[in-house]
Amino acid sequence: MKKALMKDTVKEITNTFKRFISLMLIVLLGVGFFAGIRVTSPDMRNTLDKTFDEYEAMDIQVLSTLGITKEDIKELQKIEGVEKVEASYVTDAIVNIAETEEVVKIMALSNEINKTKIVEGRLPENNKECVVEPKFLTGTEQKIGDKIKIEVEDVQDEDGKDQPLLKQKEVTIVGTVNSPLYISSDRGTTKLGSGKISYYMYIPLDNFDTKIRTVAYITVEGAKELKTYSAKYEDKIEEVKARIEDISEERRQARYQEVYNQANKKIQDAQKELNTQKAKAEKELKDAKQKIENAKQQIRNGKTELESKKTETNTKLAQGKTELDKAEKELQEKEKLFETEKEKILATLEFVSPEQKEQMIKQLEEQEKLLKQARNTLNTQKQQYEASKKTAEQELTKAQRELTTAENEIQTNETKLQTEQKKADKEIQNAQEKLEDAKIKLADIQKPEWYILDRNQNIGYVSYLQDADRIDNIAKVFPVVFFVVAALISLTSMTRMVEEQRVQIGTLKGLGYSKRQIANKYLLYATLAAVLGSILGVSIGFYFIPKIICNMYGMMYNIGDPVLEFDVGLTAAGLLAASVCTVGATVYSCIKALATTPATLMRPKAPKSGKRVLLEKIPFIWKHLNFTQKVTIRNIFRYKKRFLMTIIGVAGCTALIVAGFGLRDAIGSMIPTQYGEVFKHQVEITLKDNLKQEESKKAYERIIKNKEIQNTIRLNQQSVEIVKSNNNQSIQLIVPEKVEDLQEFIVLRNRKQKEQTYILDEQGVIITEKLAKLLEIREDDEIIIRNIDKVEVKAKVVGITENYLLHYIYMSPKLYEQLYREEVKVNTVFANTEELTEEQENVLGKAILADKDNISSVQFNSVTTTIFSEVMDNMALVVWVLIIAAGLLALVVLYNLSNTNISERMRELATIKVLGFYNLEVYEYVGKETLLLTLIGILVGLLGGNFLTTFIIKTCELDAFMFNPQIKLASYVYGIVITLLFATIVNILTYFALKKIDMIESLKSVE
Amino acid sequence: MAYIEFKNVVKAYQMGEVFIQALDNTNFEIEKGELTVVVGPSGAGKTTALNILGGMDLATKGRVIIDNKEISSLKEKELIKYRREDIGFVFQFYNLVQNLTALENVELATQICKNPLDPKAILKKVGLEERMNNFPSQLSGGEQQRVAIARAIAKNPKLLLCDEPTGALDYKTGKQILQLLQDTCREEGMTVVIITHNQALTPMADRVIHFKNGTAYDIQKNEHPTPIEQIEW
Repeated sequence: MKKALMKDTVKEITNTFKRFISLMLIVLLGVGFFAGIRVTSPDMRNTLDKTFDEYEAMDIQVLSTLGITKEDIKELQKIEGVEKVEASYVTDAIVNIAETEEVVKIMALSNEINKTKIVEGRLPENNKECVVEPKFLTGTEQKIGDKIKIEVEDVQDEDGKDQPLLKQKEVTIVGTVNSPLYISSDRGTTKLGSGKISYYMYIPLDNFDTKIRTVAYITVEGAKELKTYSAKYEDKIEEVKARIEDISEERRQARYQEVYNQANKKIQDAQKELNTQKAKAEKELKDAKQKIENAKQQIRNGKTELESKKTETNTKLAQGKTELDKAEKELQEKEKLFETEKEKILATLEFVSPEQKEQMIKQLEEQEKLLKQARNTLNTQKQQYEASKKTAEQELTKAQRELTTAENEIQTNETKLQTEQKKADKEIQNAQEKLEDAKIKLADIQKPEWYILDRNQNIGYVSYLQDADRIDNIAKVFPVVFFVVAALISLTSMTRMVEEQRVQIGTLKGLGYSKRQIANKYLLYATLAAVLGSILGVSIGFYFIPKIICNMYGMMYNIGDPVLEFDVGLTAAGLLAASVCTVGATVYSCIKALATTPATLMRPKAPKSGKRVLLEKIPFIWKHLNFTQKVTIRNIFRYKKRFLMTIIGVAGCTALIVAGFGLRDAIGSMIPTQYGEVFKHQVEITLKDNLKQEESKKAYERIIKNKEIQNTIRLNQQSVEIVKSNNNQSIQLIVPEKVEDLQEFIVLRNRKQKEQTYILDEQGVIITEKLAKLLEIREDDEIIIRNIDKVEVKAKVVGITENYLLHYIYMSPKLYEQLYREEVKVNTVFANTEELTEEQENVLGKAILADKDNISSVQFNSVTTTIFSEVMDNMALVVWVLIIAAGLLALVVLYNLSNTNISERMRELATIKVLGFYNLEVYEYVGKETLLLTLIGILVGLLGGNFLTTFIIKTCELDAFMFNPQIKLASYVYGIVITLLFATIVNILTYFALKKIDMIESLKSVE
Repeated sequence: MAYIEFKNVVKAYQMGEVFIQALDNTNFEIEKGELTVVVGPSGAGKTTALNILGGMDLATKGRVIIDNKEISSLKEKELIKYRREDIGFVFQFYNLVQNLTALENVELATQICKNPLDPKAILKKVGLEERMNNFPSQLSGGEQQRVAIARAIAKNPKLLLCDEPTGALDYKTGKQILQLLQDTCREEGMTVVIITHNQALTPMADRVIHFKNGTAYDIQKNEHPTPIEQIEW
């Protein structure tokens, strides 16, 4: 390039600095947005990788249903590719905090794998201390230094005895930490309490008073060096997982044997003890019985003795009595005889001598005395008899009484013995029953399952990667819009520039410069703008866009500072694309200009001549337009390039905004629609596996006793798949017990014609929309359903129903019975509740789960809704990014176009100013065109927004759910209003630019 | 008092470091209904004077009074109003709006005036009855200038200012245009000011103002102006 031309180029840039800057700016925007948003997803992934590296997060974890033993760890350590293995303990517990209870995931602190990062405070130094996640403190209004109590179920020690799991149940919070296992806000589910884990906390491993561990964390050799999401990493992990799988069978068997033997030994010991006890109890009872028997015999003997004694006494007494009676009789006779004799004697007395009399009287007196003596003796004898009779009687009574007492005592003893015996019998029976139970349980001990999981089962990890994917998908579409616009803008700018300088080009051509040399100036100009713009663009784009987006996601995830990378490939791509666009546009306009002769070039270019537009041929419309309207319409069609550019620019802006809001609508209305319109129940209660019909019935009755529950439906829910080539979706088959109740819980309807509802019958099954789309199933197609037991049945699809989350097949019980030849087994209950607060839900959840033996889980749909509202917050941020981008786009495009418009029509505008148009009228003269073009652009943009949204939805959507493709009216309104707002800003700028037009300068002769 | 008074008018520009005095203490007067020719070499300040007279530019110093209105002290908006209602302007390069037909170009002016004349009648008068629905690109230079004159006259202005109206036209056409301007002055009684560098045109005027070095150095009054058809150059 000649020196003069070089100078000219530099001067050109300084002279048309505004144009140069605006060209550079559009390149900057295009390249910056392209590079920035493209690099965001990799940056997010790298941030995740770095965070997980810093935490030394596990690559694989092995969980066993019967725990991990030291031998397991040893064996795992031996596996090729395993770097480190660390056994740890994880359990769910209820934690008492002040008056409330929370379900908390308790984990053991680790130094090797899955390290924690202190946020505040310090790590525990002894078993009396713990650390919690930061959310724990804010959520429970606790602070460092507060004490909490962990309530956790007892565990069995090695001898099978129950013992407390923790050495220290009351622990003091000494700090807060972040964990790599929970980077999102989801903490998973549990069988405790309401079924939802609220927080996690860490305690020293030593506080777990057991030798068994629940989990083995494993890192894989060389995995840390790889990017965690990369295919290489996945392959490496899969390899090691397969090796673990290989030893798992053996380890499971060993553990099973161990546990089995333990239980078995326990049973045998118990049996022995039972036997001894039984024997002992029996002997004791026997002895007691013998004693009672003996005592009874004694009493019997005593009774006989008493009886004989009685007889004897009675005989003796009777004899005495007879003797006494006889003596009395004799005495009475003697006394009578004496009386008679006495009378006789007394009568004879008068006739006898006194001596005789005296003798006789003396004789009488003597006789009387003798008689009296005899009477006395008899009386004494009688008294004696009475006394002895009394004594004898007394003695007898006493003996009798004693006997009775003894008898009573024996009776009491007998009753006692009976009770004792019963008790002993019962005890023995209980012991026996227990033993039987234990034996059954022993038989029930199943081989432990090993769950070999990797990072893909970490909810936070996965959802973060999904978010990164979403950004990636957006990155595939949006920058294209910017690039198209940037290319068009540089095309108009450069064309304008070349046209403005046709006289100079003509002069140079006339002077003998070659086309190449002349074009070089413009090419240099364009290249400089493209290169500078690209470099600035990638610098700004690589820094700000990922930083902003990563920080936005940082609010939702516990993840490290964003790792920002400079991507050479993207820089090259951006630079190349920008250069091709601008330089290409320049080459195009140069070729056009240089093709003409110098003479033509040096003459002013004939202004674009006026033309009648098509509309004028329709006098019906044309006549009704006023003068300025006509002018406006004619002008719009006069500058076709500008017409197109404005429409594309404005449409791009509107489309981006509509897409932003549309995306939010699509994702946002998915869950509320699913859990409000499609699924009407609030709770899903899963019964334990293998319940007998009776048990499940009882469990059901217990559930509906809860007063919060209004109505319920019982159904069978099971995982099935549809047999179809290479697309294995996990599907739930739902068979209600009663078809007529189903509509109160699940609405089966066509999404597009909501009034078209389906009713389940024997004709066939109804499947969900996304499933139909994925497997390309249409109504009336036949599908083969395969259940877990690999039973395959054929059914016709009679309806495709609206559904947004997961996949379902609905089948009537009659059809089920026909197909499977078995009755529908209820294993799930859907329930409608009255309106409940979160707390009330927790209470209800606990109440239902109290029936531990029969209820497996309780899930409230509100939980899903809550988790989802967080995702929505994420989406709002994306929408903002889009709106800002769209606004910048609109501003740059409209400003650029309006500037071109003004400079192209300078003479015309100056003329109407001379004619005496007021400033506002001059503005209207061009503004009306801009407004009309903007409006057309908006209309096109609304359509484009619809397409863009559909496209993004298609690329973003995961298999498991379907976004609601319905864009709300409000989103279109936002698109219109925001675009108009940006257009207004540009129009205000235009107004001032028009005001500044200098009439005199413009009207001087044409250069 | 004269209809138009230009009193001690100074117009100075600062162009970078160069200071240019376009008008240096210029004085002249024009009566109502007169045809005035302003004549002088390039750079003498004719156009600057015309621009100030037409309300397109403001004087740095001095007073400009037209029909008792001092336009040199008008505010921007009043100046626009003045252009709108009182001035008709004819440019050297016609300055027609390319996208409008002849009729529409005239209408563009009349739609903003208080007492416009009928655009069609005016076009008929300038002899373009047949071409009024043509676009400027379909008209010859003379025809275009006629449209421009029609546009200026249709506003029914107090003053018709013409800046080198024949500069881009051939002799014959130029003559026709000058005839039109002279006729307009005579028949409508309109005050017309024509700028030209062609000394030969001076006999057609009622008043001739000679410009040189940024000032009007000589003003002549022609008691008997020559009809344009009799002038040859």
